[in-house]
Amino acid sequence: MENVPEFVRNFDPIVFAIPIFVIAVVAEMIYARTKGGARFESRDTASSLMMGLGNTVSGVIFAGVLTAWFMFVYDHRFFTIGFAWWIWILAFVLDDFVYYWSHRLAHTVRWFWADHVVHHSSQHYNLTTALRQPWISPLTFKFLWLGSAMIVLGFHPLMVGTLGALNLIYQFWIHTEVIKRCPDWFEAVMNTPSHHRVHHATNPLYLDRNYAGVFIVWDKLFGTFQPELDEEKCRYGIVKNLGTHNPIKICLHEWLAIIDDMRHAKSPRDAMMFLLAPPGWSPDGSRSTSKQLLARWEARGGVQPADDGEANSSAAAPSAAE
Amino acid sequence: MVAFLLLGSLIGIAAMVALNLWLGLSQPARLRNIAEAIARLDTDAVGFEAGEAVLAEDGSAALVESADGSSIGLLAARGDTFVIRYLTPGLVRAARMGEGGNLTIKLADFTFAPVEFRFGASPQIRHWADKLNALQG
Repeated sequence: MENVPEFVRNFDPIVFAIPIFVIAVVAEMIYARTKGGARFESRDTASSLMMGLGNTVSGVIFAGVLTAWFMFVYDHRFFTIGFAWWIWILAFVLDDFVYYWSHRLAHTVRWFWADHVVHHSSQHYNLTTALRQPWISPLTFKFLWLGSAMIVLGFHPLMVGTLGALNLIYQFWIHTEVIKRCPDWFEAVMNTPSHHRVHHATNPLYLDRNYAGVFIVWDKLFGTFQPELDEEKCRYGIVKNLGTHNPIKICLHEWLAIIDDMRHAKSPRDAMMFLLAPPGWSPDGSRSTSKQLLARWEARGGVQPADDGEANSSAAAPSAAE
Repeated sequence: MVAFLLLGSLIGIAAMVALNLWLGLSQPARLRNIAEAIARLDTDAVGFEAGEAVLAEDGSAALVESADGSSIGLLAARGDTFVIRYLTPGLVRAARMGEGGNLTIKLADFTFAPVEFRFGASPQIRHWADKLNALQG
């Protein structure tokens, strides 16, 4: 095995980021008190921070298994790519591309949504929401394929881990209502608070949009971009919001709902659909997926979703106007 | 070392929550009127048509039956936000009348803590309790 640079072995960006996270959250709270423009609620803050702590603890618990798997994959890699400076840049972009697809699947396959819903389960949107993270992510088994994609190509697991952490650190600051818009050039290329507010909103127009981690260009390339519109204020949370702040219930609720649905399914096909179809799917149509909610909303004259990255802010959808 | 880090994290979280409380950053959510409750139900479900409705005395909750009688929309304040449920058969565990015009609603939904309505002296309590209990699983 090639030599892993010393700084990669000893560098954990999250350790350096945690004090900055704490200072930023406190600053946002003080800003909310003095200027408004940000919403906090103490029990929501407590549950978000507890979810963040639990995520860190679970990371330690699962670290052994995940490390063993990733080293096994690396031992069977196609190429040996190394640690040259330009490899870091290439790998950062590639990691963000993988993140886009992993995140998109997390919203469109209920099995993966059961894990990711934790992050969306607050009706608030502030820096503590960024820390509201799941505890049992390995149960999605995405680490076996999407999480291993770059490693089997030949990127070292420590490099992929470091870049993944940097990606998540970047995403911390975009969980705020305090920053309205960034400069146009930045909004065009990068994920920003405005773009990510859309992602966390439950307005039908905004559901399942803006999956980007760092670079918003992926959404523009793959047709999932939606700019934030002044006339469509974001409402945060999930379609069926939680009436609890209990971290264990927040962690498990969708997993248990899937199990319950599968147990009561009338056929093996329905059972598999409850697991693999988009959230909101039901055999009798008694629930609504994001697409169904959007269709109903458009039918009564809602703003049209953006196409090719441009918003159409006309008052009525063409189909509804006919 | 691990126990120390965990304890430190818990103290840090407690301090941030205490700061949140001390700064008084939120007000309890309250509905001004039935129209607001209906608008919220319609916004969430896109196409909810309202029938009979009732608002809790302090605006902390509302019940709105759908126009076709197939479901009852329930809004309940949780901190500074509202949580909504569209109640259909099987989703209600119990609706119990209490002292002084209270109605406690328990759902078959472990993510939704029981909600207590205060109707005052309204004779509607039994009417709504019966409607809700008809949705028991």
